[in-house]
Amino acid sequence: MAEAMDPIHQFNIEPIVKLHLFGLDASFTNASLFMLIIVLAASALMLFGTSKRSIVPSRLQSAAEMAYEFVANTVRMSAGNEGMKFFPFVFSLFLFVLFANLIGLIPYTFTVTSQIIVTFAFAALVIGLVIAYGVIRHGTHFLGLFVPSGVAPALLPFIVLIEVISFISRPISLSVRLFANMLAGHITLKVMGGFVAALLGAGAYAIIAPLPLAAIVALTAFELLVAVLQAYVFAILTCVYLNDAIHPGH
Amino acid sequence: MNLGFRVLAEFVSAAVVGGAVGWQLDKWFGTSPLFLLVLLLLGTAAGFWNVYRIAVKPPGRKP
Repeated sequence: MAEAMDPIHQFNIEPIVKLHLFGLDASFTNASLFMLIIVLAASALMLFGTSKRSIVPSRLQSAAEMAYEFVANTVRMSAGNEGMKFFPFVFSLFLFVLFANLIGLIPYTFTVTSQIIVTFAFAALVIGLVIAYGVIRHGTHFLGLFVPSGVAPALLPFIVLIEVISFISRPISLSVRLFANMLAGHITLKVMGGFVAALLGAGAYAIIAPLPLAAIVALTAFELLVAVLQAYVFAILTCVYLNDAIHPGH
Repeated sequence: MNLGFRVLAEFVSAAVVGGAVGWQLDKWFGTSPLFLLVLLLLGTAAGFWNVYRIAVKPPGRKP
């Protein structure tokens, strides 16, 4: 019972196949299993959705097409036409985060995006790509990103320092935002579920047990919104940061 | 709600990064708490700067 009521228990990582390679714990865990499921589900949507290519799309095909057009518009809007060379990257990232969030909402599943190391790995990948592409494309001009134009020379050292800190904080805010939203949402759902169970076992108070149950229904709908929204925010911020790599200098 | 959370994340992360960098510099140079204070202030300034940028140009529009 205590384990069933514990709102944190759902985030435990449990190894399914124990595996130790070169002194590293490389076990196949429930997190790995769900990442595999997410990749398979996302690939299945795109593969089956685009296999028929009919003029009048089926439901699956229009879902795939809508996802494609949605992300393509986002990339074009925030990073320009040049940003389209990063479209495969942004699209994969968006689909993975979206499916991770949505699959995590199904009871008894594991939410990989509620692990900060997963979201931080994505954020570090994005920022790493921004730095690598910016340096390859612009060389030292990429550093112009930290020097806004039209600043008084006396203030410049402070502004540059502030810009550098602001740049370093990006992967952190990018990862914490997604992680915190998922973690908070899932804990709230679980706590509300715990209220239902506790009230049902509390004699006469069982009469108000439907209240938290109704809250769960409302919260689940809200979490659905958050799941999609956070995937979108992750994708759009990736585009904004990539835009900095394509066009440094304000 | 989403914008509010974004602003919060941008602001807090900048201040935290400033503090963390300052703390580490202090550990390296043994100048505690000089860099921690200076960089915490700069980080807070960077947080305000981030928030200001969001306010001026909400992302998702044409830059």
